Amino acid sequence: MKWLGQTIAAFKSLVLPERYFSWQTILYLSIFSWLMSLLGRLLGASGFTVGLLASGSWIFLAIGLGWAVEHSQIKPFGLTLAPWVAGGVLCLFLFSSWQGPWLPTALVCWPLISFCVAAVPEVLTWDLQPKRPLPPVRQRLVLLFFFSLLISSWIQFHFRIQSWLKDYPSLGADRFGASNFVYRLPGQPLPLSAGMAHLAEAESFIADQTDGQPWSAVERWLLNREGHQQTIQTQIQSHSQASPESSLWQIQLPQPQSQAEGYELKILAVWTGPTAEPGSYYLEKTCMLMPVLKPASDAESALPTPSRWAKFTCEPEIPSRPGPPPLS
Amino acid sequence: MPFTDLLADLGLMPLRAMAFQTMLLMVAIALEAMVLRQHLRLGYQSSVHYAASLNLLATSLGWLAFLALEAVLPPEWQQQVISYVLFNHLYVNGLSPNLPVMVVVTAMGVFFLTYWVKLQGLNALTRLLGSLPVVAPRPKIQRRFYPRSQPQPSPAGPEQSSHALAVLHANALSFTAILLLLVIRLVLQVAP
Repeated sequence: MKWLGQTIAAFKSLVLPERYFSWQTILYLSIFSWLMSLLGRLLGASGFTVGLLASGSWIFLAIGLGWAVEHSQIKPFGLTLAPWVAGGVLCLFLFSSWQGPWLPTALVCWPLISFCVAAVPEVLTWDLQPKRPLPPVRQRLVLLFFFSLLISSWIQFHFRIQSWLKDYPSLGADRFGASNFVYRLPGQPLPLSAGMAHLAEAESFIADQTDGQPWSAVERWLLNREGHQQTIQTQIQSHSQASPESSLWQIQLPQPQSQAEGYELKILAVWTGPTAEPGSYYLEKTCMLMPVLKPASDAESALPTPSRWAKFTCEPEIPSRPGPPPLS
Repeated sequence: MPFTDLLADLGLMPLRAMAFQTMLLMVAIALEAMVLRQHLRLGYQSSVHYAASLNLLATSLGWLAFLALEAVLPPEWQQQVISYVLFNHLYVNGLSPNLPVMVVVTAMGVFFLTYWVKLQGLNALTRLLGSLPVVAPRPKIQRRFYPRSQPQPSPAGPEQSSHALAVLHANALSFTAILLLLVIRLVLQVAP
C-alpha cells in the first residue's frame, strides 16, 4: 500500500503544480481552449471564434509541451529538446489544415520553425522589444540556424528521393547496396518493376492479334515484327500517362524460334535507365504460338474453315537477365 | 492517413548520406579549426565555433543549390544524378563521353565557390560577433628600425587579407582530406 500512496502523491504533484506559473497551467489552458472551441462548434459559433479558440489551444499546447520538456531536463548529447518539441507542435498546427499532402512541407519546415522558437526568446524581450543578444549567444544562434538548415535539407533530400521513385517506379525494385546515399529499411515489400506491367500489356496485345486466328494469317503476322514492336511501344507510352519512365522501357520482339510445329516467341522489356546492374538488364517473357486442330464452331461452319488455328500461351515466370539483350 | 503514407514512404532513406556527411563535416571542422586558430590567433573554442559555422554554412548552401538545380535539370541529367545517388555509378546515356571532364570542372568550381562562400561567411561572422579576431599587431618597434621593409597594408585592410589567406588554407586542407577519405572509401568498395 505504501507504493500506492507514493504513486498517488507523485501523480498529485504532477497534475496539481505547486505554483500557478508552470507548464501544467499552460497545458490546462490548452485543453480548456480546445474544449471551448468544441463547445463553440456545437453551439454553431462563427468560424472565426472556433478558429481563434482552436489556434489558442495549439499555441498553448506548443508552449506547454516545450516548457514541460525543458522542465524535465532531458538533454541527449547536451542538446535542448524544448524548441524542437514546441516547433513540431507549431508545425502540426500550421500545416495540418492544408489540403493535400502537408506532411512533407511540415517536416521540411520543422527544423527552421524550431530554430525560430529557440531564437525568439534571445532576440525579443518580455515586452516584445527587439534586443541584441550577447556575442556568445549570437554565435550559438548562427550555429543553430545552419544546423537546422542542414537537417531541413536532409529531410528535403529524402522527399526528393521519394519523388524520384514516384517518377521512375522501376527503380524501387532495384538493389541499393552500392549506394553511398540511401539505405532501405529492412522488412519493406519490394515493389514490382513496371516492366512486368508493360510485358503483360504486350502479351495481351499479341494474344488479341493472334490467338484463335487462322494459322496462315498468324504466320504472316509474324513477318511484321518490327511494326508490332512499334505499335506496342506507342500503346504503352500512351497508357502510362506522362511518366518519365515509360520511354526508358523498350519492348523488343526477337526473331521467333521454330519449335515443333509452332514458334517460341520471346517478349523482352529492356531497361535503358539507371540501375545497379553494370550493363543494365532486361525482363524476358517466353510465349508459345502453336497451331491447333480445332473443329470449327457451328456458326462458322458455313465458311470454308482453315484446318489449323493459332493458340497463344505464355509462361508465368518472368526472369530478369543482366546485360544487353542478345541481338536478333 | 498521412502517417501510414509516411511509413510506406520511409522505405528509402538517405541515412548513409547523413552518416557520411556528419563524419566528413567533423573532419573538415577539426582541420579548419586548427588552421583558423593558427592564422587568426583565436582561442580553441572560438576557432571550433568559427570553423563549424563556416562549414555548416557552406554545406547547407550547397544542399539548397543542389536541390534547386536538380529540380530544373533536363531528364537526361536528372537520370545521371539518380544513378549516382542510388547506385553509385554513372550510367551510359548520351551524356557519358563528356562526363569525366564535367565532373573535374565541377569539382574545381565547387572548391572556389566554397572558398568564396566561406570567406564571405567569415567576414560576416566577425562583423556579427563584433569582436574581430585579433590579428596580432606588428610591434611598433619594428617599424622604427625597418621602415622600408614594412609591407603596405592592402586597401581591403589587414584583417581582410589575413582572412582570405586563412580561409584558403583551411579550405584547401579540408578539401584534400575529404578527397582522400572519398578515395579510400572508393578503394574499399571496389576491393572486396
